[in-house]
Amino acid sequence: MNEQTIIGLLVSVIEFGTLLYLAALGEMIAEKSGVLNLGVEGMMAMGGVSAFWVGVETGNPWLALVFAAVVVAIFASIHGVVSVAIGADQVVSGLALTILGLGLAAFLGEDLVFEAPRAAFANFELGPLADIPWLGETIFSMTLVSWLALALGGATWFVLNRTRAGLSLRAVGESAATADAAGTPVVRIRLIAVAIGGALAGMAGAYLTLKLAPGWSELSTAGRGWIAVALVIFGAWRPGRVLVGSVLFGGLLALEPRLQTFRCQPGQEGLCLGFEIDPIIVSMLPYILTIVVLILISIRARHRPSVAPAAIGQVYRREER
Amino acid sequence: MFGYRFIRRERPLPGGQVAAFAAGVLIALLVGAVLLVASGNDPFEAYAKMFDASFGSWRALSTTLTRAVPLGLAGLAVAVAGTMGLWNIGAEGQIIAGAIGAAWIARLGPDLAGPILIPAMLIAAIAGGAILALGPALARARLGVNEIITTLMLNEVAIRVVRYLVNGPWKDPEGQGFPIAPVLPEQSRLPDFFSRANIGVLIAAFVLLIFGYYASRSRWGYELKIAGSSAEAAKYVGVSLKAKILTVLVLSGAIAGLAGGIELTGSADRLVEGVANGWGYAGIIVAALALMRPSGVAAVAVAFGAVQVGGLAIQTLGVPAAISDIIQALILFGALSAAVFSTYKLTRGGLGAAEPTGQDEDARATV
Repeated sequence: MNEQTIIGLLVSVIEFGTLLYLAALGEMIAEKSGVLNLGVEGMMAMGGVSAFWVGVETGNPWLALVFAAVVVAIFASIHGVVSVAIGADQVVSGLALTILGLGLAAFLGEDLVFEAPRAAFANFELGPLADIPWLGETIFSMTLVSWLALALGGATWFVLNRTRAGLSLRAVGESAATADAAGTPVVRIRLIAVAIGGALAGMAGAYLTLKLAPGWSELSTAGRGWIAVALVIFGAWRPGRVLVGSVLFGGLLALEPRLQTFRCQPGQEGLCLGFEIDPIIVSMLPYILTIVVLILISIRARHRPSVAPAAIGQVYRREER
Repeated sequence: MFGYRFIRRERPLPGGQVAAFAAGVLIALLVGAVLLVASGNDPFEAYAKMFDASFGSWRALSTTLTRAVPLGLAGLAVAVAGTMGLWNIGAEGQIIAGAIGAAWIARLGPDLAGPILIPAMLIAAIAGGAILALGPALARARLGVNEIITTLMLNEVAIRVVRYLVNGPWKDPEGQGFPIAPVLPEQSRLPDFFSRANIGVLIAAFVLLIFGYYASRSRWGYELKIAGSSAEAAKYVGVSLKAKILTVLVLSGAIAGLAGGIELTGSADRLVEGVANGWGYAGIIVAALALMRPSGVAAVAVAFGAVQVGGLAIQTLGVPAAISDIIQALILFGALSAAVFSTYKLTRGGLGAAEPTGQDEDARATV
């Protein structure tokens, strides 16, 4: 294994990390407002197919990104309306959104499956910084979408923790009745949070089909939406920790197809593993780690308040005031 | 909003859920028609062909019923847990675990006689599903870990286990490199029922009947509902909540596992990666539409089976098979929206009764 292999791995970590962070950030915003959205997998597929279509038609990846964000914000609002405004169960509604999204994406994208990509996010070399060894070819030449994801993460942290709007959103997610009594528009805030979550999942889909794995097929999302759901828990509903989790889980996704190259070949120099890890084990780790973290959170919650927004999954309907 | 508000009716409208389901079907067919027209198809021709392929003949009916078996059992698995207010999102993985269990028995005893081999495979399938549900069940009962996420995560684990098996140790040496397990022995096939259906249909119907009976007529079913409504009430009538959570979730997994077993001894001729085919997730929609009632599960499963069989049939018209997933999800969204009018009435202003809060603090899991 040489330098180029390691750089290839790191680039892949950034790419998977970007995909996961965008989607997980969106899911986190929705959950912070008290709405669990299990539709990420379907939303990502809808974003992927919409972005790829615009990419093929116009050749402009940024137009595709914006289009995907808008389309999926509207698409996610189906879940918003059904689970928040109408008050149906969030689990059922979210899963149905995944089934609908995967189905619609496959249906609408049927003619795009063999289409060659005509737009892609270009690597962005950050001036002289791009000449720094190791960092230059990885972080300082990643696409602007990755920088955008980081900026959105920072913005999310700021809005949630330092603004009135963020306070309202968190209040709605902790106790809708209390927030309502204080005059906070519960339904409106939740609808907006779900739509923003959708927009971010849509961007993740755009990044998927226009950079990470250029092209479209109904298998494009490959269960990565579920990882985004897991990441929110793994990251304890905090933008910073979700970022750490995204890099970690992104690392596992990047490692999986490369494990072969890490095995010691006869006469090989440099880093290598003297034992064999089956890629299948690595591919299971994000899900198993999430279960472990969930158990730890529950044990911890016996002594301290839980880190989860208290109102997740609860329908709020004001019947009388 | 706009001065209107939802007021809970004193009791839901009679037949409200049936009407909501019908409304959901109507909405789904209308949206589906728009998609069909937009993609250059004649919706009347497509729907006629779908109906003909799923109900038009004995052969069609037998195909639909066969398809309804995994949907009904997965739906029942979700419904059994749902009666108690628990969510088993892991039916997809439990179907896979069941199929792996059944395939394993067939590998161990390929020369066993059918009457021994088939029951052994089905029991192994039940055990497989139960084992996969055991972890989330213990975590929920003992530590209060939310079962929604743990069961969901195990789906992704299960699919990777079966992927590993059919790509590695269980790969068919004569499979020309395809990721498939060897063909199952001839005597492992369930006997025929009628036309293209095997007696898996009868097994599933029997299981649904049993649970339908127990859910509404037995002390066990009564206790489940009590435990689901409030932890306080459960304590009052002497029900151990922890024991109930454990048994119900494991039982739920076992039922989903049986679906995997019937699939392997019935329709599938070998273990493949896609053995669960999304039925576990569809089962959640089935259970939700059936309001967690076994009789409703049976009816919705047959309807969904018909949609899936019909969706496959209109592929010959050039319509992507994904249309059936779209229709199923739209039926749910349509029915959820319509159901609101059977439990609530929309009035202008005025005061109504407060909504019961549902679950108790004690019974709620930490996410």
